[in-house]
Amino acid sequence: MSVMPGLVEHVTCLGCGCSCDDIVVAVRDGRIAEARGACPLGVSWFGDGRVSVNVTIRGAAAGMDAALDAAAALLDGARRALVFLSVDISCETQRAAVSIADTLRAAVDGVSSSSVASGILAAQRRGRVSATLGEIRNRADCIVFWGTDPAARYPRYASRYAPEPAGLFVPDGRHSRTIVSVDVGGARGPRDADVRIEIPADREMAAITALRTSLAGRSLGDEPLDAGLADLLRTLGAARYVAIVYDAEPGTLPPEPDRAEALTALGQALNAATRACVTPLRAGGNRLGAESVLTWQTGYPMTVDFSRGHPRYRPDDGAAALVAAGAVDAVLVIGRPLGMPFAVDAVRAVVVGPGATAAACEIAIDTGVAGIHEGGTAFRMDDVPLPLRAPLPGPPVAADVIRDLAQRIARLRARRS
Amino acid sequence: MSDRLRITGGAVYDPAHDVDGDVRDVCIENGRIVADLPNDAPRLDAHGMVVMPGGIDIHAHIAGSSVNQARRVLSDERTADPALAPALLDSIARSGTGGTVPSTFTTGYRYAGLGYTTVFDAAVAPVSARDTHAQLDDTPIIDAGFFVLMGNDAYLLQQIAAGERDRARDYAAWLLGATGAYAIKLVNPGGVELWKRNVRAVKSIDDAAGIPGATPRAIMETLADAANTLGLPHPVHIHCNNLGLPGNVATTLDSMRALSGRRAHFTHLQFHAYAGGAGKPWASGAKELIAYVNAHKEVTGDVGQVMLGHATTVTADGAVEYLLHASSGRRWVNVDIELETGCGVVPYEYRDAAAVASLQWVVGLELFLLSDDPWRVVLSTDHPNGGVFTSYPELIRLLMDKAYRDERLKGVNQKLLAGTALADGVSREYTLREIAIITRAGPARQLGLTNKGHLGPGADADITVYARDPNFATMFSTPRYVIKGGTLVVEEGQLRRAPATHRLHVRPQYDNAVMRDVSHWFERYGTIALANYPVAPPRDAPVSMAAGH
Repeated sequence: MSVMPGLVEHVTCLGCGCSCDDIVVAVRDGRIAEARGACPLGVSWFGDGRVSVNVTIRGAAAGMDAALDAAAALLDGARRALVFLSVDISCETQRAAVSIADTLRAAVDGVSSSSVASGILAAQRRGRVSATLGEIRNRADCIVFWGTDPAARYPRYASRYAPEPAGLFVPDGRHSRTIVSVDVGGARGPRDADVRIEIPADREMAAITALRTSLAGRSLGDEPLDAGLADLLRTLGAARYVAIVYDAEPGTLPPEPDRAEALTALGQALNAATRACVTPLRAGGNRLGAESVLTWQTGYPMTVDFSRGHPRYRPDDGAAALVAAGAVDAVLVIGRPLGMPFAVDAVRAVVVGPGATAAACEIAIDTGVAGIHEGGTAFRMDDVPLPLRAPLPGPPVAADVIRDLAQRIARLRARRS
Repeated sequence: MSDRLRITGGAVYDPAHDVDGDVRDVCIENGRIVADLPNDAPRLDAHGMVVMPGGIDIHAHIAGSSVNQARRVLSDERTADPALAPALLDSIARSGTGGTVPSTFTTGYRYAGLGYTTVFDAAVAPVSARDTHAQLDDTPIIDAGFFVLMGNDAYLLQQIAAGERDRARDYAAWLLGATGAYAIKLVNPGGVELWKRNVRAVKSIDDAAGIPGATPRAIMETLADAANTLGLPHPVHIHCNNLGLPGNVATTLDSMRALSGRRAHFTHLQFHAYAGGAGKPWASGAKELIAYVNAHKEVTGDVGQVMLGHATTVTADGAVEYLLHASSGRRWVNVDIELETGCGVVPYEYRDAAAVASLQWVVGLELFLLSDDPWRVVLSTDHPNGGVFTSYPELIRLLMDKAYRDERLKGVNQKLLAGTALADGVSREYTLREIAIITRAGPARQLGLTNKGHLGPGADADITVYARDPNFATMFSTPRYVIKGGTLVVEEGQLRRAPATHRLHVRPQYDNAVMRDVSHWFERYGTIALANYPVAPPRDAPVSMAAGH
């Protein structure tokens, strides 16, 4: 396999949760000239690969060593600190970040608590029926897009996973599958769906319950199942393998805290007679990695509090709530300081990540972007781990910076004890 | 800390060298056992104590993607079992949570705290191997490896169905190396793929429903032969079809007979040793099963004991978990993993008031107590499926102390126990030598780990020193000293150090011609580039292949 000079193959894109790993990045003059194969979202995520490479203390340029010492002192001296895992960092960085929270007896949280907490909590009550994307690609002969058209926010979902690709058990790709669009209020599924059902937003939960009770052979009162829903049930029942796909990230479907649990229950009930999975669409930046790492290190996927010297689960005390309540007096943000659920300038903050020095914070250390300037591991939206490549050399590696910071904090603690 | 140490005056149990409680010194230099040391070497006084190699767990679930799925849904049970960071002298200590599926750091600390120094994760989906390596990197003290799931891999099933057994072997060899695994694992061979096709029962090992040619028999034969031809240190590791179903002992015996004459490991035998079914009540099939195992030297197994109390079932055997969910109404996780395997999780409790749970408890003990050869039938609870690994000391007490066992037996549901060896009053008590075999020397031999499970010169200095106690559960739950790779990890019963760990993996040779076909397969059906599929090779050198199995 020969590769043109300046071409890096098999690059994983973290622009959305699809985590397409077939991008060919062309590098010219130390910049990304092209991200071949990437969708518009991916092209924008890669950009030209230029990032700032600065270290600042209160806005003034500083050396790395001084900044790390100052960051260690600030965090170590805090009454109660928060470690926040933002996006575009590798699992290796996340692992080191959680160790800092443990040492500091801090709170630690990621982006999931302010976006998909209801789904996480639903799984803890009920479980989940899921499948990796390859299973849907190769097996699902009926895909229900629940108020969701992946085209806008997950542009290559359709061509890489479903419904378009031919798969082992769906040899004719799109033509081997029945596509159902369940339009929930104004949230519509794919335009070319074979079956379309419209549910008013305020009837969504009732509709799912009706489907589920009907599957169990019961009915709610004397009301017969709505004709559209009855059709849907017949379609689902006739399928070999059903995938129900919905966008778990906020912004497109009407807000509904019970949706994840209701769909999971429906999926579980479907498995009495046929095979089915319910799979949420998730955004990029390796947010699934943060959930996985937090889970294996602490037992909990979000909102962890180490203040008693061990992890406690505090789903009501996510990062946004802690900052808003003034419950923390120092924050360590690791990752890109964008789209965060709290304002960095609301509290004394250390930011370590891509573009850190653009944030209004006390200490900032720019690092590379995971998947562009540094390698490591990231998780796809279905919890499948992928390797990251680093087509560009660049700023300090976030994982190294965070490990160094962890050591400095541990030394400060050891000196005192 | 000095790299030399002489452990003096202990009663040494080193069954691999026929040392049975003899009082003698054990010497360590540079992380390995040596024959002798100068007199001025530092000493560790073990007078009156029991010295054994470090424990080896041949079958546990500690670091798979499925394990993390279990952790994620069990947020409630771990609230009651917080784990503070130990006071380590040599590294940053980490806190965690316990419950039936502890967090990674807590897993490593608790295993080491029991005197276990090597653990294998028994079921890793190939596509998630990278996840497992990362979790094991965060699992301190214990050396670890894993078995990679192949029994429902769609590519392999196609090769087997087509009679392409050489290509299947080459693929298996590639997959072991690509994932950094130690052995080939089969879970419900063919049955998980059938579950994905909504076929929920495997009628027999010749049942080819849906996959003509790729019967459980053919899958087991092909991969048993592959493991043995490749010279893997551990043979194929099989979780048979029909786990947990009454009457399944027939399937298990059929599976063993299918591989007659071939080296193979049958795991968590207890879950596959039930008679009854087809209208008849559940009953023990342990006597029948263990009689076969006793008579067939090529068979090894681990018991998969059920311990009464809380557990979490976590397995690649998705179909079983659906049944458990449907019958118990408990939380249920199912993840179908792309053309490779499945994953199911259901939290569970084995109640002593429940007839079937009591039978399962008894069946496991029967297998232990009727086994002729401790080298071939070793200890496991299929953690956390039958019980949590921290219950091993309790299990050891049940095996060593008949009076205690009888007392416990009185407290369980008797409904299905008639005719079992326990109901008949089996009197066997395991000796310390036998415990050393089923928890150390035996697993090491089954796994082909030549440097572990014994205390001969050249072995890894993984050693556990126990203070004697008439209550064997107390004795085995609180070792006085644990040494890992020559480092004193537990000192006076306290966890003190967390030295670097090693990854146990293999990298067998194969004919590269298979890769053209595999590459084509990935292009057609994969969602990951073939170039991105293999994990970064572990830092440790691969374990060498055994010659001439």
